[in-house]
Amino acid sequence: MTHRKSLLAVLATATLASAGIGHAQEKPPVKIGFVTELTGAWSFFGTSCVAGLKMAEKTLNPPGKRKIEFVIADDQTSPAQAVAASRSLDVQDKVLALSGPTSSDTGLAVYGYAEQNKVPFVVPVAAFPQLTKPGTRYTFRLEPDAVGWGYAISKFVEKQKPGGKIAMIYSDYALMRAITAGIKYQAPRSGLKIVADIAFPQGSNDATVQAAQILAATPDFVMVSGAGGFDNTITNQLLDLGIKPEQIIHPFGITTQVMNWGKRSVGSYYGTFFDSNLDSLTPEGKTFVEEFTAQYDRPPSYGENFCYVTANVIREVIDANPEAADDREKFRDAMSALKTKEKTSGIPIEFDKNGARMEYMYFLQMKEVTAKTYKAKQAFYIEWDPEVIPVYTLVK
Amino acid sequence: MSDANLIILLSTISTGLILGSIFALVAVGVTIVYGSIWMPNAANGQFFVLAALLGWTMTVSWGIHPAIAAILVIGVSVPLSYGLEYILVRRFYDVPNRNISYFVLSLGITQILTGIFAATYGRWSDQFQLPPLVSGITFIGPLPVANNRLMVLALALSILAALFALLRYHRYGRAIRAVFQNRDAAALRGVNVKASYSLSFALGNAVIFAGGILFALAYSFDLTVAWTMSITAFAIMIIGGPGSVLGAVIVGMVFGFTQAAVSTVASPTIAAFSYLGAMLLILLFKPSGLFAR
Repeated sequence: MTHRKSLLAVLATATLASAGIGHAQEKPPVKIGFVTELTGAWSFFGTSCVAGLKMAEKTLNPPGKRKIEFVIADDQTSPAQAVAASRSLDVQDKVLALSGPTSSDTGLAVYGYAEQNKVPFVVPVAAFPQLTKPGTRYTFRLEPDAVGWGYAISKFVEKQKPGGKIAMIYSDYALMRAITAGIKYQAPRSGLKIVADIAFPQGSNDATVQAAQILAATPDFVMVSGAGGFDNTITNQLLDLGIKPEQIIHPFGITTQVMNWGKRSVGSYYGTFFDSNLDSLTPEGKTFVEEFTAQYDRPPSYGENFCYVTANVIREVIDANPEAADDREKFRDAMSALKTKEKTSGIPIEFDKNGARMEYMYFLQMKEVTAKTYKAKQAFYIEWDPEVIPVYTLVK
Repeated sequence: MSDANLIILLSTISTGLILGSIFALVAVGVTIVYGSIWMPNAANGQFFVLAALLGWTMTVSWGIHPAIAAILVIGVSVPLSYGLEYILVRRFYDVPNRNISYFVLSLGITQILTGIFAATYGRWSDQFQLPPLVSGITFIGPLPVANNRLMVLALALSILAALFALLRYHRYGRAIRAVFQNRDAAALRGVNVKASYSLSFALGNAVIFAGGILFALAYSFDLTVAWTMSITAFAIMIIGGPGSVLGAVIVGMVFGFTQAAVSTVASPTIAAFSYLGAMLLILLFKPSGLFAR
């Protein structure tokens, strides 16, 4: 009898327990496909992005909330592979939305798939304007578009040196073409003169002659944007020839690049959307910087931040719209209506009808570079409407 | 001539010399292997990058002085080459039309190395920059040139000179040249042809490795440079005449100057294609190459 009672008690407990578990598990995790560059030419950016995402995942799924799970796929920095990974995540994993590309080339490939197949696509770090061209419905881009960066650079130079001369030296990638298109459009409107415009094909390795040409053009500022390690080559060769660091503007600075430029770059400027040196870091932003630095031995930059923010934005949308967790159209509508702020910097997040964000850019001046970190001072901040210049017609 | 124009002219010359000497080194390495064992080594670009990556790891991660790292990198190429030769390359020595087999084999090695580099080094691909061999600047007229680059140029030219001396005066070098010219006659004269093959493969790769580490000491690099260098080395070898070391050196230097000059008067984009155009043009008139025997 005692045994029977015990057995009944065990059975009852087990039933209750399984019912409880069943309740917790009745909603499967919300899957987000994260297609990014873990290998290939852009992997330095993709792996940084994943590092930011992993930081977000530490606090992304508190008890009692619907679990969000990121399914990470390597696109090998290949547009074709990005489409293949998107298809697999869509059809086999049945993800709610796609995210992850940090390259405009792979981002555009995922964009095509997402728009065609009506899969919401949250772009963390890819800046080519056509990702939010008119008519875009399912794509939402967190990073300001690169033509706008050119606009911001012109505005910065206009403030620093009214009527100044600007030179451009860059690798011929989609991103750099977009940036320089913005400069070419805005510079004359800002009263600036472009005195040199030098593009290098992909795979270039020397810029000595071009650095000499830049020097001969006597610019007040030089916009430098080489792809990968070539950025260091151009920068060093300009400095070797006597261009001063204070004349150099890098349109975007990620932590690894900033460290690569090294001590010689003290005095130069770089554009960014998040930096550990920003004046406006929120308490969560400071914690993010501290924890990231402790784990990765370097401070995070905007790439890591956008991927951290992407995870939190998705969390916020699903928390505020639980029905959106299982319905792509509702998720898309919720993203479209989103009005929030970056938890790390307090910068507003709001998308226009094409999924583009109200844009902004910081310019920082390098003050000190040490082995594992650097100090920079905020020199300029600007916000603008995405269509303050014709971004979608300047770059196709 | 104004200072600005003089700076542009001098920078064109200095760039032509540095790039040309590195191009020449790699092309000589490729042509030694081809001339000896008929292997059109498509993996030369990956070997070049492997040398640069090893140099980066040794100097940046392990803190080894760049000069010692350069010697170690070139040293590493020797057992690596003998290992590859023993496991793969020598199996084709008696295969008819083996140059096709070798080409496919080297493409396979290229693919494997590309994958390995992407998986292991890809995440740092924006950071490949070695500390300089020497610091400081030297003014050549109004043009400031980094002493490090001058040192790289001196080393590249020294290696090329040493290579010439080896091939011309040393008995191993003479054996390699004999095999280049006529392997059957060389065998009849007592040259161990297969040992000469092994030596040529190791020597050719050591020279490519030397080119890779010197390039990395002069410039920042990324993984895409493998493809650029591979095409360039083949173009130089074809124009110079497959198997002609002198042809590889002269055409390599001409390529360096061409790239520097065309990028000055036209654009870097046109410069990147200019020598391939020159290759097609020369092949129209002299398909065997300028210095072919």
